[in-house]
Amino acid sequence: MECFSLLRSDVPALIDHLGDFGEVIAPHGKGDVSYSFEVVRDSSDVVLDYNRTLLPLKKMFLPPVEKLIGFSLKNESYEQVDVAIAPRVFFGVHSYEMQSILRLDHSMLSGSAESNYFKRRQSSRFVGISFEPDEFHFSESVGVVIEEMEGFDLFLNEVDDDFQLYVLTDNGQEMLNGFDKINLTEPEIVEGRNFKKKIRYHYNRLPRVFQYAYHSDVWADVASRCVGCGACTLTCPTCFCFDVQDHVEVTAEDGMRQRSWDSCMLSTFAEVAGGENFREKTINRTRHRLFRKFKYITDEEGLPWCVGCGRCTAFCPAGISMPDIVNELIQEDEKAQYHRTVRV
Amino acid sequence: MKPQVAFFDFTSCEGCQLNKLNFENDLLDILKHVDLVEFREAMDDKADHYDIAFIEGSITSPSCVERIHDIRRRSDILVALGSCAVNGGVNAMKNLHPIDDVRETVYGDDKYLFATLPAMAVSSVVKVDYEVRGCPMTQQDFLKLLIALVLGKQPPKYGSPVCVECKLKENECLYNRGMVCLGPITRGGCDAVCPSFGQFCTGCRGILDNPNIDGMLEVMTSHGISLDEAKKRMLLYNSNEVQL
Repeated sequence: MECFSLLRSDVPALIDHLGDFGEVIAPHGKGDVSYSFEVVRDSSDVVLDYNRTLLPLKKMFLPPVEKLIGFSLKNESYEQVDVAIAPRVFFGVHSYEMQSILRLDHSMLSGSAESNYFKRRQSSRFVGISFEPDEFHFSESVGVVIEEMEGFDLFLNEVDDDFQLYVLTDNGQEMLNGFDKINLTEPEIVEGRNFKKKIRYHYNRLPRVFQYAYHSDVWADVASRCVGCGACTLTCPTCFCFDVQDHVEVTAEDGMRQRSWDSCMLSTFAEVAGGENFREKTINRTRHRLFRKFKYITDEEGLPWCVGCGRCTAFCPAGISMPDIVNELIQEDEKAQYHRTVRV
Repeated sequence: MKPQVAFFDFTSCEGCQLNKLNFENDLLDILKHVDLVEFREAMDDKADHYDIAFIEGSITSPSCVERIHDIRRRSDILVALGSCAVNGGVNAMKNLHPIDDVRETVYGDDKYLFATLPAMAVSSVVKVDYEVRGCPMTQQDFLKLLIALVLGKQPPKYGSPVCVECKLKENECLYNRGMVCLGPITRGGCDAVCPSFGQFCTGCRGILDNPNIDGMLEVMTSHGISLDEAKKRMLLYNSNEVQL
């Protein structure tokens, strides 16, 4: 693994250089205080210090709203939308975001692969960047440190306001060919970037906590504050549930089948024909969300299906915090365990 | 034969009806599918029977009750159009005050000359088959319903909040911009048009089924408005739906 030094002022030049390897997508400022992954038009617009984007990078592989097929009622025919495989370079991606893509890969590609996702995921290259954790990030608690480089081709680690550029793959090596603003250097370890938010237990102890958490009182407390807007799941980088609907144009001749992100936090999510609802109450839904992140998939794969980006907490209008819920469950479990213990 | 369609207005601003005439690009396509048989704002003709009757406005007087019953008797499908017809809309704010005070404020000494009722949704008086929500209802929403009815399909139902469409468009949350928005508990389907242009949601499409009202009041007050103001905002379009 080679390591180069790179001046902050030379980063736009690097972004321009990466343009030779495909469309570059990087974080940009959005609204008053937010960020979003957008296609780079001008490399000087790219934001290097950001906390998190509104929507996760997932939107580039599994678009929020996507046309699947077009159909004609008149000719009784349909045509599948062809998703082109285009080379893309994702620049300025945080480690937890990369981990979320690797988890999504598992969700979408194991078993029978989701073909549109698979095509969009082809020929993607990733350039990571370090970040300063804010009050919502807690990725270290779910096993993703700031400098986690799995999945990246190149990684930019901020050192004294400039960067150290790590070359991690052959693709990464290829992307630097002909770029002369870097100098070989010794990797440094950066101190002092600490996570402010933490889950009290190591993540491998959480499945056991959740094993006894189904009937916990914590869920009712969360449900009393939750207004059911779905922001937590719609901005979650590892959630992948979607809804499919047909739309007919005003001519009543042509139409399309459309897929859009859905959320298990919405009361309509588990509603079926006849009006029956499998998760009718908010309390059922808040519990389900957490179990999807720390129990159901985790039992099979051995990893928490949460990457600690903090979006669900940062974007919750009611200020409900995922790590706080987990910590409350841990506290409750400790109490219960104390009472369960047989003392002689 | 094409379905015979009619439009009627009750207590309202008539805006929902009027924006049918603004379809322009789609008007000719629409008229290929339906026959317009009665529409006071656009034509003089009258008819005896309607396949689809669109009702705008809320029911606010004894004569309204009589008239809506008459229309219902002569219609196969009856659709409530816009916030006033669906749940009483802004008109229903008068229901928060004693009816005598309301009459006195509006008519002064002549108040006994004008019979009045609390502002009611059309569905409180007659059976309503479908509804198009919003103030005003969006054209897209209306077209989706009309096409579904023409094709004999179920029109789309909206059970998720405005926040969903807002998030899918990757809008910055208005709460992060210092505004107080009713999006989390308001029925979606409007493509989050107001928040997308920087205006907070006022709840014109009605409140979701089984809302967490206390939770929502807590969210609103914790973002800097008084409880009184929060309640007023929630009641603006939903006096008939929310019990505070």
